[in-house]
Amino acid sequence: MATMAVSLVAAVGIAACSSSGSSSSGTSSGSASVTYNEGTTSVVNPSNQKGGTLTFALSSTPDSFDPGNTYYAWVLDFDNLFTMPLFTYKSCPGTCGAQVVPDLATDLGTTSDNGLTWTFHIQPDVKFENGTVVTSQDVKYAIERTYDRSVLANGPTYYQVLLADPSYPGPFKDRAKNLMGLSSVQTPNATTIVFHLVAPFPDLPYVLAFPNTAPVLPSADTGTNYQLHPLSTGPYKFQSYQLNKQLTLVPNTEWNPATDPNAKQLPSKIVVDMNVNQADVDNRLLAGDIDIDAQGTGVAAAAQARILSSSSLKANADDPFTGRAWFAYLNTKVAPLTNLHCREAIEYAVNKQTVQTAWGGPVAGGSIASTLDVPVIAGYKSFDLYNALSQPAGDVAAAKQQLQLCGQPNGFSTNLAYRSDRPKETAAATAIQASLAQVGIKVTLKGFPSGSYYTDFAGSPAYVHSHDLGIDMGGWSADWPNGFGFLDELVNGNTIAPTGNTNISELNDPVINNLFTKSNTLTGAARTAIWSQIDMQLMKDAAVLPMVYARSLDYRSPDVTNAYIWDQFGMYNYAVLGVKS
Amino acid sequence: MAVPFDVSIGPGGPGPDDGPPVTTKDIVGRSLGQIAWTRLRRDKVAMGGGIVVLFLILVAIIGPHVVQNPDAYNPSLINPTFLRPNGAFGGISLAHPLGVEPETGRDLLARIVVGAQYSLLIAFLSTVLAVSIGTFFGVIAGYVGGWVDSLIARAMDVFLAFPLLVFALALVGVIPSSAFGLSGNSLRIAVLIFVIGFFNWPYMGRIIRGQTLSLREREFVDAARSLGARGPYILFRELLPNLVAPILVYSTLLIPTNILFEAALDYLGVGLYVPTPTWGQMLASAVQNGYYYIDPEFMLVPGLTIFITVLAFNLFGDGLRDALDPRTR
Repeated sequence: MATMAVSLVAAVGIAACSSSGSSSSGTSSGSASVTYNEGTTSVVNPSNQKGGTLTFALSSTPDSFDPGNTYYAWVLDFDNLFTMPLFTYKSCPGTCGAQVVPDLATDLGTTSDNGLTWTFHIQPDVKFENGTVVTSQDVKYAIERTYDRSVLANGPTYYQVLLADPSYPGPFKDRAKNLMGLSSVQTPNATTIVFHLVAPFPDLPYVLAFPNTAPVLPSADTGTNYQLHPLSTGPYKFQSYQLNKQLTLVPNTEWNPATDPNAKQLPSKIVVDMNVNQADVDNRLLAGDIDIDAQGTGVAAAAQARILSSSSLKANADDPFTGRAWFAYLNTKVAPLTNLHCREAIEYAVNKQTVQTAWGGPVAGGSIASTLDVPVIAGYKSFDLYNALSQPAGDVAAAKQQLQLCGQPNGFSTNLAYRSDRPKETAAATAIQASLAQVGIKVTLKGFPSGSYYTDFAGSPAYVHSHDLGIDMGGWSADWPNGFGFLDELVNGNTIAPTGNTNISELNDPVINNLFTKSNTLTGAARTAIWSQIDMQLMKDAAVLPMVYARSLDYRSPDVTNAYIWDQFGMYNYAVLGVKS
Repeated sequence: MAVPFDVSIGPGGPGPDDGPPVTTKDIVGRSLGQIAWTRLRRDKVAMGGGIVVLFLILVAIIGPHVVQNPDAYNPSLINPTFLRPNGAFGGISLAHPLGVEPETGRDLLARIVVGAQYSLLIAFLSTVLAVSIGTFFGVIAGYVGGWVDSLIARAMDVFLAFPLLVFALALVGVIPSSAFGLSGNSLRIAVLIFVIGFFNWPYMGRIIRGQTLSLREREFVDAARSLGARGPYILFRELLPNLVAPILVYSTLLIPTNILFEAALDYLGVGLYVPTPTWGQMLASAVQNGYYYIDPEFMLVPGLTIFITVLAFNLFGDGLRDALDPRTR
């Protein structure tokens, strides 16, 4: 799963997962009165009115519109317009949107063989845009093709870890011999699919909620070119796509709303403009020329100032948690941070306010964090071991006391690793340096390129040790919204890897490791209760310095209907939007 | 800004009463200096530029010891929602006469002054490097001529055609975090000086070569040669003293280009490490973080500083050239 983590972090400040949606269907077309943050808790402008053109724009490009080849949060969200994966997240605002629900599947599946075998049934009457009926073989094929990383390089790599044949080469190389070569996934009939795991894994439905389980017709698979026209099973299909420039979607006439309650088919056309300058995106958004910034990471500073200082613009904005945490690893193997008290001194001393400002302030940056886990994750509990919330400017007295206990009363020197091509992370690193200087902790900043940050620098324990990188900046968002999806890669002792390491603290606390092991034997509320225990223990270990629970200021055009923040992605649910005509 | 390298300089050679080379040079050099100084003093614009340059140098040397800590945060001066300084004009106050930086509240005056130190240091040293290399090869090319001249002239062409900015970006990207016994900022400073200086030498080289070409045919060089003087003697004792004027003038005009180039590299993110304040980085953060909209004053301060510095050096350099050029007499 280390590879997963790397690609996740490489997704430039965005990541998460899953699909589909729908929402309330009131008919009030009234522009009556929308309010600030309304979209974080309820559906804004609910309507079933059809027609019109929904226009998206964004400053970047997708990693790929091939459902088997994406890890960008906004693409995972957007894919629900033209795919039906086995599972998706419930189409509803608020915490309700973090529930995994069947999409192509008919139920949440059954396990046998002590949790090693999972059996799912799929809906029998779902069709591709060309009229072909979807079978479980098409789902199996979709999973198989993700094994060939030379063709599909971007998506998650959970199957290689969870399933029994990790070295399966993928159908592009296997095609000559036997198309259905993956032995750990079986399709006894056209509507049944069976997974054989190497170890019990209660979170499997979450993994199957990635769009890479959306069916792919083998005869239509064009490999790396499939992203130009993936065969749709959702409410919309590709009309034209100029790679990384402009995408036009039109309604898929073979789509049956009865099979897909999580999506809607309202606009008669959907257009996505890519590679547009961010200031231009914001200006067009505020002017009403486009409806939604597809990237979902919020407006830039200039537009933020305009929105917040105008009550009419502000009413059309939402300020949700994105699900991402920004934090700094405190490495437990680099002296003098090997001493718990030296790490605690850092926890107390850092001025959380200046750090928050560096990330963009309370609106666009995020809320000051006192835990590693983020509030949108099930099982999150708030606590404040190091006075981050009660004394956000830093608790200098407590920090000096910890320095005494650590045997470094006058402070010490260490290095801080950060990604120098990220302005906000650079600003946060500088803020940490400035506030630690006040208690005598001298921090030297070491900038690295973000592309190789996890492979060669902060993610390589050997490099960290030889260069004394005691503090290492990090960011994380969960692939699925529970504590396992969020915390496992960060603090489980068995995830420490020689490269692509995401447990950069090198925390190997038996208490935490045992809690993770225990969690896989539990279900329901008992399992959920584990996550805050792990969170508490890792904070007691002072292995991570939490900075902010990230937020973004998103703007929805007043013309958009059915808009709400989909909790799993921290951005609008793109598959249910409509426009007023 | 213009750096008119193609403008030729009067040779300023020795006067008509050529005596023994050494003494003549002394006498003539002094009188030329006196004439130039008189002329320069009469040029009000150039003197203004010169005074500003002098002031900047003083600021760069003394300033960093006088101003407050440029890295100290002042969160209380910042509006946390908009991230911009409280108060008008970027938070100008008695304690912060130029205002504070958005987001951090760091004192702008302190950052500008400390930035001046780095900007001028890098610009001066890279100019020294460019001038040294340029003069050396220019004199040799002009004096020796033949295939040596062709070789050096072609080399200069290659350097002039080189995509310098792209090279600088690539080079800074691959430089390890420590090399040549240097690390961190000192290594970056060395790299910047090398890149800027090493790729600017052909401008100097061409001018010096042209000057040398015309000088070597002059009577005093013939005289020295007929008295048995050898190559090195003629190069260093006859030609070089007569090249002091163009070297001086073009050094003064090269410094502002180098200041701009350093700022450009900083702007592109391959300059010094944070939190070291540099003018280019301040401009970059104003643009990239969108501060120009919420706090335009923050962009104005480094922008104007760069503008004034470059203008002052250029005006002074132009005046110096006029003063040293006999044809404008």
